[in-house]
Amino acid sequence: MQITIDNLSYTYTDPSGQTVHALQSVSCSINPGDFTGIIGRTGCGKTTLILLIAGLLTPTKGHIFLDGRDINDKSYDRNLLRQSIGVVFQYPEVQLFETTVEKDVAFGLTYSRLGSKEKEDRIEWALETMGFDFEKIRKQSPLALSGGEKRRVAIAGVLAVKPKILIFDEPIAGLDPYGRQNFMELVSRLNDDGTTIIMISHNMDALAEYTKRLIVLDEGKVIQSGKTRDIFLGWGRDTRGTEPQQIASLISKGKNTLLDDVVTYDDLIFALKKQLLGVEQHE
Amino acid sequence: MVVNGKNISYSYDCNDTSYALRNVDLSIEQGEFVCILGCNGSGKSTLVRHLNALLQLQHGELTIAGIDVSNENDIWRLRRICGMVFQNPDNQFVSSVVEEDIAFGLENYEVPREEIPEKVNSALLLVDMEGYDKRAPNSLSGGQKQRIALAGVLALEPDIIIFDEVTAMLDPDGKQEVLEMMRKLHKAGKTIIAITHYVEEAVHADSVILMHEGKMIASGKTRDILTDVQLLKIAEIMPPMAVRVYYDLLDAGVKLKECPITNEELAEKICKLP
Amino acid sequence: MNKLLAGRYLVGNSLLHRLDGRVKIICLLILIALVIGSRSVSSYAISVSAVCMIVLLSKLPPAYVLGPVGRLWLFFITIFLMNALFFDTLNPLYSWWIFYPSVAGIKQGFSVVVHVVLVLILSSVLTMTTSPTEVTTALESLIKPLKLIGVPTEDVAMIISIAIQFIPTLLEETEAIKMAQIARGARFESKKLKERAFSVFPLVIPIFLSAFKRADELSLAMEARGYRNAKKRTKRKKEPLSSKDYIALCICVALCLVQFLLLR
Repeated sequence: MQITIDNLSYTYTDPSGQTVHALQSVSCSINPGDFTGIIGRTGCGKTTLILLIAGLLTPTKGHIFLDGRDINDKSYDRNLLRQSIGVVFQYPEVQLFETTVEKDVAFGLTYSRLGSKEKEDRIEWALETMGFDFEKIRKQSPLALSGGEKRRVAIAGVLAVKPKILIFDEPIAGLDPYGRQNFMELVSRLNDDGTTIIMISHNMDALAEYTKRLIVLDEGKVIQSGKTRDIFLGWGRDTRGTEPQQIASLISKGKNTLLDDVVTYDDLIFALKKQLLGVEQHE
Repeated sequence: MVVNGKNISYSYDCNDTSYALRNVDLSIEQGEFVCILGCNGSGKSTLVRHLNALLQLQHGELTIAGIDVSNENDIWRLRRICGMVFQNPDNQFVSSVVEEDIAFGLENYEVPREEIPEKVNSALLLVDMEGYDKRAPNSLSGGQKQRIALAGVLALEPDIIIFDEVTAMLDPDGKQEVLEMMRKLHKAGKTIIAITHYVEEAVHADSVILMHEGKMIASGKTRDILTDVQLLKIAEIMPPMAVRVYYDLLDAGVKLKECPITNEELAEKICKLP
Repeated sequence: MNKLLAGRYLVGNSLLHRLDGRVKIICLLILIALVIGSRSVSSYAISVSAVCMIVLLSKLPPAYVLGPVGRLWLFFITIFLMNALFFDTLNPLYSWWIFYPSVAGIKQGFSVVVHVVLVLILSSVLTMTTSPTEVTTALESLIKPLKLIGVPTEDVAMIISIAIQFIPTLLEETEAIKMAQIARGARFESKKLKERAFSVFPLVIPIFLSAFKRADELSLAMEARGYRNAKKRTKRKKEPLSSKDYIALCICVALCLVQFLLLR
């Protein structure tokens, strides 16, 4: 599904009576099958943007089109919208409430028109995609699981609907590095299967490695958008880059020879080998 | 040794043989910056909660600055010496006004009312938050909230400060703010015990204790532990990037003189190569 | 998003901020009696204008004071409808199925809603102009007599004060969880009563769990900071009541008397 965001603004009044411009005239588009990262400092409007895309907030101005149809138009079927866009919020584990994992994952399918066999298949698929043994986990209480497992169950609950667009708000916050890696690979696989992914994160390394495009927000405005690699390279020696980028810039400073074209860890190793050994081929 | 523990074991369920902690020996020197590193469920929080008697010692011995933690009468003296900052910045404030929250600990120790404002102000000064005394913690950023929580602990002038995964819920700016605070307090002579699963937070510590499945699998100088990739692998901890680069270059036939642990060291060593 | 939470204490220096906590709590009780006693148009006028005066005196942004009322609009509509439709089944304007809309019911519904709204505003003004520690201290001295029958008054005061502060946090959390469940397809806005009733569970259970988790973590943090019980803490100086405290009390009592006379 093609997402087109046109001149989107969102303004609200906070309890003290002050007007807050959370988003100002944001325009961009996300193509089917994209893996888009959204970055920016805390409070720059990232979460507001995804809530608007998911139709959970109504814009003050502007439009969001899904395949050319305005989602805030009265004729747009809300049910269809919920089925098309899945949202995984920050710390999604808090939303679990059912007595068994199976029932919790099924919650999103309550109003779908699937038969019971199809529903069960969906649940099994979603839980297995999230790395669980379906038979083992299905009857367990979600509340008795560990923090990491709860998060995976909550995400399975969103996956079960098979949304064409999946939105994640800081999904890897609090995960350890291996947990992050596993998670990002899993999301990448979903993306390879055709799901459009939109992900907010503060983790530059993860975004650089896995996303295809980036949207950079600052104080409610889009300040940059484009291919992930181009944006990272464009920052050059800026401190905002990835860790390998920072290492490359430290080396370049000391050695007077530039380590160009480094964004990810593999790039760094490749550039170092090239410089130190004259090896040309990428592993 | 300011912290001295022998053979500490702990089980959350008395009838269960699954131990959250098994035979841990612990010794930390006065003024040391120790990082307890381990993945989720490795028992690191369980371990430090013994230090201020939030958990009761079941097996073994543990003394903090000469106080036996199993002595009920000394618990409050112990908690004044040994302060703790927690992971979730939103769940440790007792008041919605910064100055009142910082005063909470002081009031618990019956510090005379007249002395409180001054102590509150100097605690705020220590965490670079002067002028925030009338604000609501809720209106601050994550890093600022953690600094206020730290100020509440510092007001009691503890010798030992425990940071229980305090950066886990913060954004990169907040993380830096809090890590900066730890280094500053360490320089000022406090004993710092930081718990984390992020190896990059351990590089500035004097020593590292590596935990896995309730056991201490290694402890020693930071450099020795962080460059031992086999050990880190067992603990399911990803080595620092500088270490990974060192070993990947070694595989390709480039040998750096010594394994670096920070990015700055790595860059310096690479620049020295012919 | 770092925003102000409705219902939280807001540091300020208005007359209401400076009044003694004990006096404010007593005045609140008197004014609640005043509001609840309102029956005639003139007595409503007194109550409403008294509440308006108080909001003005607090110098709080009106939007901030009215926030809690706004959040509960659904609740108010429900109360109003319940009264309007079921209060007087003997003289309905009209009847259909189990519904009996009546003039008396509409009047009753309206008056109940006005009462609750005014009481809510008064209580919000109290918590917004009185710092949590002040609330604790004031409550502590007001409920002291209960000590005679063995109530641990210091602890009770501490508990109430912390509970008051947790309400805004829980309200905000409710909003966040609601959003997440709507995204998963929950139908809070459904027009079908049954769907709506069932949609409460996905909200209530996570909020309870989260409240317990918060309470658990907070109690650990309190213990780590040396909390034993409310008795062994630095005592607050008992500030004597000033003339403005007495005047405030007198005004409240006077209003109540006027109301009483009007009622007769």
